[in-house]
Amino acid sequence: MRILSLGRLTLCLLAVGAGLSTAVVFADERDANDPVAVLATLIDQRIDERIAAEKGVAAPPADDGEFLRRVYLDIAGKTPTVADLRDFLADESPDKRRKVVEELLDGPSYITNFAHFWRSVMIPEADSNPEVRFLLPAFEAWLRQRIKDNVPYDKLVREILEMTVDPRQAANPFEPQSGVNALSFYQAKQLKPENLAASTARMFLGIRIECAQCHDHPFDEWKQEQFWGYAAFFAGLNREQGGVQGLVNSILETLGPTQLEIPGKNKKVTPTYFDGTAAQLGFRDSPRRILADWMVGPDNPYFTRTLANRLWGHFFGLGIVHPIDDFTLENPPSHSELLDDLAKGFASQGHDVKFLIRAITSTKAYQRSSRQTDPSQENGRLFSKMALKGLTPEQIFDSIAQATGFFEQFANRNPMMMDGNSPRAEFLQTFENSRDSVTETQTTILQALSMMNGKFVEDATSLDNSATLSAVIEFPLMTNADRIETLYLAALGRPPSVDELRRMEDYVKTGGPTGDWKRALGDIFWALLNSSEFLFNR
Amino acid sequence: MSNSASARFPNLSRRDWLRLTACGTLGISQSGWLAALADETAKSPNRKRSCILLWMTGGPSQTDTFDLKPGHANGGEVKPIDTSVPGIQISEHLPLLAQQMEHFAIVRSMSTKEGDHARATYLMRTGYLPQGPVQFPTIGSVWSKEIGKAESELPNFVSVAPFRFLSPGAFGPGFLGPRYAPLVVGDGQPGGNTDYEKSLQVKNLAAAKVVAASETDARLDLLSGLESDFLKRNPGVTASSHRAAYLAAVRMMRSDAVKAFELTDEADALRDAYGRNQFGQGCLLARRLVERGVPFVEVSLNGVPGGAGGLGWDTHQGNFEGVKSLCGVLDPAWSTLLKDLKERGLLDSTLVIWMGEFGRTPNINAMKGRDHFPNAWSTVLCGGGIRGGQVVGKTSDDGMKVDDRPVATSDLLATACLALGIDPMKQNMSNVGRPVRVADPEASPIHNVLA
Repeated sequence: MRILSLGRLTLCLLAVGAGLSTAVVFADERDANDPVAVLATLIDQRIDERIAAEKGVAAPPADDGEFLRRVYLDIAGKTPTVADLRDFLADESPDKRRKVVEELLDGPSYITNFAHFWRSVMIPEADSNPEVRFLLPAFEAWLRQRIKDNVPYDKLVREILEMTVDPRQAANPFEPQSGVNALSFYQAKQLKPENLAASTARMFLGIRIECAQCHDHPFDEWKQEQFWGYAAFFAGLNREQGGVQGLVNSILETLGPTQLEIPGKNKKVTPTYFDGTAAQLGFRDSPRRILADWMVGPDNPYFTRTLANRLWGHFFGLGIVHPIDDFTLENPPSHSELLDDLAKGFASQGHDVKFLIRAITSTKAYQRSSRQTDPSQENGRLFSKMALKGLTPEQIFDSIAQATGFFEQFANRNPMMMDGNSPRAEFLQTFENSRDSVTETQTTILQALSMMNGKFVEDATSLDNSATLSAVIEFPLMTNADRIETLYLAALGRPPSVDELRRMEDYVKTGGPTGDWKRALGDIFWALLNSSEFLFNR
Repeated sequence: MSNSASARFPNLSRRDWLRLTACGTLGISQSGWLAALADETAKSPNRKRSCILLWMTGGPSQTDTFDLKPGHANGGEVKPIDTSVPGIQISEHLPLLAQQMEHFAIVRSMSTKEGDHARATYLMRTGYLPQGPVQFPTIGSVWSKEIGKAESELPNFVSVAPFRFLSPGAFGPGFLGPRYAPLVVGDGQPGGNTDYEKSLQVKNLAAAKVVAASETDARLDLLSGLESDFLKRNPGVTASSHRAAYLAAVRMMRSDAVKAFELTDEADALRDAYGRNQFGQGCLLARRLVERGVPFVEVSLNGVPGGAGGLGWDTHQGNFEGVKSLCGVLDPAWSTLLKDLKERGLLDSTLVIWMGEFGRTPNINAMKGRDHFPNAWSTVLCGGGIRGGQVVGKTSDDGMKVDDRPVATSDLLATACLALGIDPMKQNMSNVGRPVRVADPEASPIHNVLA
């Protein structure tokens, strides 16, 4: 019965959601017709029910500054400017939080941030393998274009799985790979069926099946044969004999029923879905297209859940299933009905990623403070307060740049240019952490040294080189209190507390150890940029 | 709230910050400090052992180093020489090491499972094969966690010039987290690094020149206030790890022990003896670190400046010139390291391991090279905890298979644990909620080599 393991897992996911009765109450009549509000209300109901059942206490709502910094980092990948913040704080309209989400989703930073997000999910190899990094410009260009057009997620995945890689099959044989496309994905996986199988299973199905490549999965019911049966969907891909590695026109693909030999087993397998059903392939069928039909189709329960869980994890720091890519019997979801609701809502809105982002960001759960007000909030899986999320190396760099007015050469951002000495490259290298769990980000000694003594932060806090600092100092009408407030807004996205303001004003008045009030402001900015509050998305 | 936060993180009080930021209160006088420390270190019965791993990137050829096959075609052109231990012969390219064979236990019967660089590197450096989501820590992280001190002035794990690209997971703390990450110095690129004086320094260790020490203190004091407030609002591992890293960084900046990185303090003759290259000077740095109590230091040999291209010992072609030039760096560095440790009374408490990810084929390919070979190859244990002057295991006359006492990766690592006084059966909780032992519980340690 082992080959039915996927079916069992499906059952376990679906069964709990079956008997639910929902009485959604809306504050406003209009909300009942707004699918975003409907889903958001449902999410909060699920989350609140569980908090109550566990006798927990939810944290209070985040204030506007806290919310704005969070939603900027999550959607646009960087912190708001002081001007953004002041505008938002001054805005008195009741729906300003939804409005700012809308603005961010329409902006260019959403495109670059999510292109980066998807690239990290799809080609994580690039973070450690410099050869793969050369493939990124093409892949990210493709992602950016698709995200800009808000291509539905199922279409995006189809495009990857179905793309024509063999120039002989192209509509126009003279220009086989015109335009941007996802070919880099295949190149990054070296066209190997086992690599493509492991990564597509992880990305689109939340299944970490790669251990079954060599042996039966020790902690789950995946069998080696299942792995290779799935890998056989990619078995038609090949490099032309004698072809130059990496060249587009050297890729060949055999259509029709394919076979793949399990290494060392002297046994061949044909394309087989995870539930044990063999794929029906005609003579001219592309196995990858047949796989794509199943992958995004209604019979595959994993596809939408994995996406919903991944996006949830991006915004909350923890997945409903966590680790994000690890849907197994032994790793059940914390809120299985909720995951179901998210997946259904997502599918019903045409697999629109922006829809899910709108719904998630408008929940009370997302808009809670990260400040801990009750010991029950230590259980992050209740989502009763916002988790502290570590920033990615890129976010830290961009946030310092944003806060200090650093002007960056465009070339430094080009992944083809591997100038290890650019401030950005050096920074990203030092801050590269395992990105598996953003809520468990820890700081290393070299990172601390880099923030404390490194040239980038030093420039950012020096009177000569920091745009923000010199603006604050030279603007004639500002009091010290105004100056301190501006530095707080720039670095932390909030004004100082009364207590903090008094402390900092005293420091500036005495001028610190140098007796120079300007340098004292630099010291304060240094402390703000080195603080946990700056280095985390909270 | 503040009480519960400080109760949970008792090591991270505001007082610590003040103590660190108050200039000059560390109170270690510089005169005679080093000699006194070395003396005390060597004599102390409580001294925990240290480990130096000499990591041979690319997989060195056993047939041309420690398991020669004279009289067989597979032996190639390298000649064996006698050593200080009668009956044990090694390569003519390692004449200095040959004089110190009494410290060496050569394991000639390594028999491991992986012939791919990435997976084999992972296996040898973590003790486990890659298993999906489990992020196994490298042995430097695991072992230094066991034998290191929580609040030492220097990090417990220093990695010199690691070449991480092919198998990054094999060089990190994995599920143990950044607290157990190595402090990395040196340039890990294969081949031509000649600027070792600069690359072996810790980056950003000193504040910028324009920032006075008193100003750094004032800044840290401001930061301390911000951090205390934040930790009260957001207790938890994440925020406390930020604080712990800053404490460790400041401790290091302010400590005398950081002088370990000032290699120019050493006599020119000794620096020459180690070899004026990154690996040689890296070995000297390893001794200086171990002397100051760092429990785990690894030094990678990734290639020879100006030597043939390619990755360290990965001699698929031109094997014989490659091995000769690499041995030209290895032999003086390693032999001087042992001599230096011995003279300072540190050899008995310092385990030195020499290994790569696999060995190389005994048969020679058409390009006069040797390819990947995990079936029968050599590693070396010497120094602290090891009974030297012996050979473990035996390969066949053609070198193609192990004839006696096959040693698996886990056997070797468990043996090293015992030599270091670490319980190989101790468990750590992994990132998937499953406990993982320090060494694979299936391991059968080589008891013969333990002193």
